[in-house]
Formats: sequence, structure tokens, C-alpha cells
Amino acid sequence: MLKIAVMIKQVPDSQDISIDPVTKTLNRSMARNVVNPPDVNATEAAVQLKDKYGGEITAITMGPPMADTALLQLMGMGVDNGILVTDRVFAGADTWPTAFTLASVADYLGGFDVIFCGEETTDSSTGHVGPGIAEFLGCEQATYVHKVEYEDGFFVVTRDIEGAEETIKIGKPAVITITLNANEPRNPTLKRKIAAYKKGVRVVTNKELQLDPACIGLKGSPTIVKDMKTVPDPVKNPSKLGVEDMEKLVSVLIEKGVVK
Amino acid sequence: MIVDIKERLGKTKYDVDKSYAHITVDERICEKCPHHFCVMACPAQCYTLQDGKLNFQYEDCVECGTCSVACDQGSVKWTFPKAGKGVIYKYG
Amino acid sequence: MPDYDAIVVGAGNAGSAAAITMASKGLSVLLVDRSDPPGAKNLSGGVLWGNDLARILPKWQSEAPLERYIQNKKIGFLTDDSSIIIDFKTKIFEENKVGYTVLRSKFDPWLAKKAKEAGAMVIPGITVESLAKKDGKIVGVVESGDTITASVVILAEGINPRLAIEAGLREPLQDWEVSVGVKEIIKMSPQKIEDRFNLTSTSGMASEYIMGNLKELNVGAFFYTNKDSISLGIVSPMEQLRANGVTHTYDIIEQFKEHPSIAPLIEGGTVAEYGAHMIPEGGLEMIPKLYGDGYMIVGDAAGFGFSNGLVLQGMNYAFLSGILAGETAVEAKGRNDFSENFLALYKQKLEGSYVLKDLKTFKDIRKVTNNKNMYTVYPKMLESILLEMLWERGQPKKKVRDILSSCAADLNLSKLKTATDFYYIYRRM
Repeated sequence: MLKIAVMIKQVPDSQDISIDPVTKTLNRSMARNVVNPPDVNATEAAVQLKDKYGGEITAITMGPPMADTALLQLMGMGVDNGILVTDRVFAGADTWPTAFTLASVADYLGGFDVIFCGEETTDSSTGHVGPGIAEFLGCEQATYVHKVEYEDGFFVVTRDIEGAEETIKIGKPAVITITLNANEPRNPTLKRKIAAYKKGVRVVTNKELQLDPACIGLKGSPTIVKDMKTVPDPVKNPSKLGVEDMEKLVSVLIEKGVVK
Repeated sequence: MIVDIKERLGKTKYDVDKSYAHITVDERICEKCPHHFCVMACPAQCYTLQDGKLNFQYEDCVECGTCSVACDQGSVKWTFPKAGKGVIYKYG
Repeated sequence: MPDYDAIVVGAGNAGSAAAITMASKGLSVLLVDRSDPPGAKNLSGGVLWGNDLARILPKWQSEAPLERYIQNKKIGFLTDDSSIIIDFKTKIFEENKVGYTVLRSKFDPWLAKKAKEAGAMVIPGITVESLAKKDGKIVGVVESGDTITASVVILAEGINPRLAIEAGLREPLQDWEVSVGVKEIIKMSPQKIEDRFNLTSTSGMASEYIMGNLKELNVGAFFYTNKDSISLGIVSPMEQLRANGVTHTYDIIEQFKEHPSIAPLIEGGTVAEYGAHMIPEGGLEMIPKLYGDGYMIVGDAAGFGFSNGLVLQGMNYAFLSGILAGETAVEAKGRNDFSENFLALYKQKLEGSYVLKDLKTFKDIRKVTNNKNMYTVYPKMLESILLEMLWERGQPKKKVRDILSSCAADLNLSKLKTATDFYYIYRRM
């Protein structure tokens, strides 16, 4: 039976975020909170693995108390346990202490055969945390994966590399990051959601974990944001559009053999 | 400030379920429909006529149910989207 | 043993009110909504009157996410060139703040949260697929092949009641039972709203119009102020749309926005959201059987709405019917009797309340709202009278009686028809 973990994050729905035309900062006030989309694909990969080979799935998130709904949502898909890592001392963490904290939680929970993550989050798009967890735990890793099999104690994964894909074999324990749209996530069901809401999520604070305050949260974050700039929208030139140019474009594409 | 319907629909938020069309129409029935009232009634322009043939797309549907009443030919099969997908009003 | 005492399908105003009523009396309640968070599929097409909400949530005015209290109510008639508006402003509204504009995407999640706090299990983002039946009784709900059971299912699924229709608890909706509501949110700064409509930071304005500028269609329109946006829209009876057959519902709202008296009010605003929803319009005649073995129907799903062309209400009926169904379930639990016989108590409670009393009092209102003269001829007539009276054109003035008869002649209207129209409006409204 595989011990499977999924590391997930609740993020503001990217569709709901606008740039304030005056202050040029992100306006998240109208944003609905959702599970980071590739994390849902990671969860689906975990549930498929469990369906095929048996196992127990634990979803783990570090975030504010309201992030429990994200875990409950995934428990509705077939995740067995939800762990909410929440504590004021974790606030303000960049990717380094985030990976450190999540790796420590995985260790604290007795370790896992495989840890799934989304390829990156839609609210910061670094893709650091998955590999970071693997490094802190000293285990094998595969990033940008869209297909996972388990054979003779090894994970055979297919990953996107620019312009191609490669299939590799990695041993246990492993960290695997899953790409957006790698699979078609199943819908939560009412029965599973009821069970999830009844069971609830387990809250883990630093009182339990006892991590060095210098290594976590804002204090443990080496990133310093010096400046932020808003890039203006690319200028569109409507005079260049039109059917005439469209036809020209098509003929050029045919000439170059791009379309037939 | 007249705004084209497509542009107005563009202001509304959706999480389209690409794997499940919550409304389906029966083309054979629509072909013989004497009025195509759905085209007038649907507030989201999901029903359009092209060369006399009815075209339907569910992606812009705001789930008002108007077409379920407007269609008196038995062509429209109406269900709700699943798992919170479909239209998501930010104001309402 | 069923899984729950009660399952409520739909966490809108009616469903959440029912869930709060039952859970606060110790019943085990499952409240399921197809949107996540609840309310994200709903549109408000009127003002929220909170007298009934106060019965279950006395502190609603300070806790609920409300937009502006209604200090100023307007009723208007539009013709091609003119608008005739009754502008009602009263200290009584200021002293009794019970009518508020709301945005359902903010309000409904709050109400569902209150249901959760009362002890209900609130599950968002799940679409119930069908009702579970056993020996002719409703015994629960079905989703993804799983059946979740309850002593009673309260159907609060809204104006498009798929479950009730599928289970044969009501007939599919007919043209005469519904209107199509089309709505837009226009973003505007609070400062501009308060300056333009002469409001304070908390007060608001709600207007209802009869659109006399549309030929052949009896359409009502609404316009009201939120904190930093305007809600406006049109309400068009399905019967009329079908008879007309050449007008797109999405164009009617633009005709309203374009009207010379409306366009300046939204000048400088931007469209932030577009949506549509059906509205119950059928009055008493569209009400289905409201209860049976193991179920009750509340809110829009039951067709509880009031509309006379000038007033549009539904949320108050939703709260009250939800509360009364909830109370009935609480009593049923006490007797351990969820049979049709016992649940008849719900209908009795409704009959004792303004919900069914209003619908009975105004059972003939559709004859007024369907009267084409109400929408096309009389606004035009009012306009002519006012032009005669208020416009100095260097011509001899006429008495009102003469103005009336010349208007009626211009508009091809017989005196008898006008007299009977007004008699019926007087009788039915």
C-alpha cells in the first residue's frame, strides 16, 4: 500500500484578479479562493495511483485557517486525509521556507512513498516548491510530469521537456510535480464530501512541529522584493487587422507549409 | 453605451466544463421547428441561426432555464452543470 | 434510520432560511448547493425586504453584506421621448431600514455561513441529480449513484426546478408562468452614485419602470443603486416574447439603457457583469402541490413571487416560505411524522401568512400586467396630458377633460375600453 501525499495551495482565482488602473497593484478583493489548478491535476494523479495500486492519500497545505475548504474539496475527490499547516510564524514565507516547512511536515507525518505537487502556482509561478521539498527530504524527483505508472517499486513517469517528452524511472521516496491539464480531474461527489466535512481536517501548528523560527515564515525567506513594475499592455494596432490581411496571412502560412 | 452581447458576456465569469454539456438539443427536431423562438429568447445568444440551421453552444450559458420553457418542440434537454462549473456571478 | 432529518436542496434565501430554522432547533440538516460558494448562480432582481429574515437572524442589518438601504423609491413610465416618474422619498424609510439592495454573490454565502453556524452541514459545489423515491415517498437525494437519505427533503432549487419536474412533483414550466429577467451591473464610484442620485454613503434608490417605448411588448425594467455599482435590468414575460417573436431578450435591456432618461444616469459607468434569470410570474395559478410524503417546496421553486409591473418581490417570500417549511419540519420531527398528512401543516402556515394571502388577493393581476394598453397606450396618454398641461405653445389651453378625450381619440381608444381598463386596474391592483 502506497503512502501518498499531495502538496496543495489555495490561491485567488486568476480570472478574478485585475490590475487597479490607479495604484497599478493587483486587486484581489473580488477574488474567489480556489485550489491552485495544477494541484487539482496532481490530486487526480494521486487518486489514479491509489485506484490502481492501493494506498492512502494525505493532502497537505500551508495557509490561513480558511484554506481548509481547499482540502475538503480534494477529499471529495478521493483524498483520505487533510492536513492544514497553519501558524502565524509561517506567514510571509517565500518558496524556500515553504518547501522546508512542507518537507518537515511530510517527515513529521512519518514520510511518504511519493509526494505529488502541482508544477507551479498560478499566483507566483515559481515552480520552486516541489523540487525544494525533494531537496530538503533528499529524495528523487521528476518535474513537469503528465503520466505516472508504478512498476516493481519504481515510478515510471513521462515528463514534458521542451519540444519533446521523456520517460524516466525514479525510486521511492519521490517527489513528482504534475503539469496543468495532465489529466481530467474527477468531480467531488456528495457522499465523499459529506464524509470529508464529517472527518474535517487536521490542523498542525509549529507548537507541534517545533521548527526553528529563523528557518520559517518571513524570517526564513531569503527573497527580497526590491521593486515592482507594471508592464503596459501591448499596443494593438487595429488598422493592421482585416480580412485582406487575414487572407495574406493564410497564403503566407500555406507558402511556408505551416497549413495545407 | 450600447455594448454588443458578446462583449457583455465577456464580462461574466465562467468555469466551463469542457467534458460535460449540461444542455443538449436534438438537431433533427430543430430542423423541423417552425419558429426557432429559442434564438430570440436566449439572453446569452447560445442559439443562433446560420443559413436556416440552428447552432447551439452551451459555453456562454448563464443557466437561466429560459430555453427549457421557450422550446415547445421537445428538443432541449436541460440539466445543471456539475461541481460548481458553469456561470459564476461575481456580483449577482 | 435516514442519514439526516432534513436535506435542503439549494442554498439561496429560501433554502438557507429553512436550514437555519431547522438546525437551530437541533435537527440534523444537510444543505447542498450546486454553486461554490453558494449564491454564485443567483441574481437579485429586486430589493431585499428583511422583516422575515429578522425572525431567524435579528442582527441581519448589522451583520449581512448589504449594499444600500432604500430611502428613495421611484415608479416610472417611459415613452419614446419622455419619462414620467413618481419619486417617493420618505422619512419612514429612513427610520425603518428594512429594504436593502443586495448582491447575491455576497449575500448568499453569508446566509449559508449562518446555516453552518446554526449546525447545518453546508456542502457547496454539488449538483443533486435526482430525488430518491421509495413506495411513492421522497426519501432522499441521489448524486453520482449514491443515495443520501433524509426524513424530509426541502426543495429550494429555484425558478428552474429540475428535480421537482423530473420527479413529477410539478409540471414543466409554461410561458405564462415566467418572465425572463436580464440584468447588468454597471460599475461606478460611490462618490458619483451619491452625487448623481442625491444619496448619503448608506442610502440608496430603487426604481421600477414600465417601458412604454417598446411596441408590442409589455416589459418592466428596474434600476437601483449598490455601494459602488448600479443594478439594472428588464423583465419580459415569456408569453409576450413568443407572441412578438422578433425581439432578442439581450437587445431589450440595451433599449432600456439607451432611453434618454436612463442613459445619463449610467454615463461614465462600465459594464461589469451581464446575467439572466427567470422570474416567477404566474401567481397563485402556478403554485404546485407544495408538500407530499417526505418533501416540501419553498421559494422560487414553488413560484412564490409578486409582480404587478411596478413592484417586483420574491426574496421576502423565499425567506418566509423557507422559515415556515423549517418550522413544519421541526414539528414533524417532534411527532416523528413526515407524511403528507402532517406536512399539510406547511400549507396551513403559508395560508396564514402574507405569502399565500398576497397571491390570493392579487390572483387576477396578470390580467392587468398582460393588458397591452398598460404598457403602450396609457404611458403615451399620460405624456400627452402632461405636454398639454405643462408645455406653453402659444395656443389656447384645454381643460383636462378635453385633453383626455382628444388623447383617447388620437390613440384610437374608445371611452368604454379606457373606462373598463381603469375599472379592472382599480379592482385587481
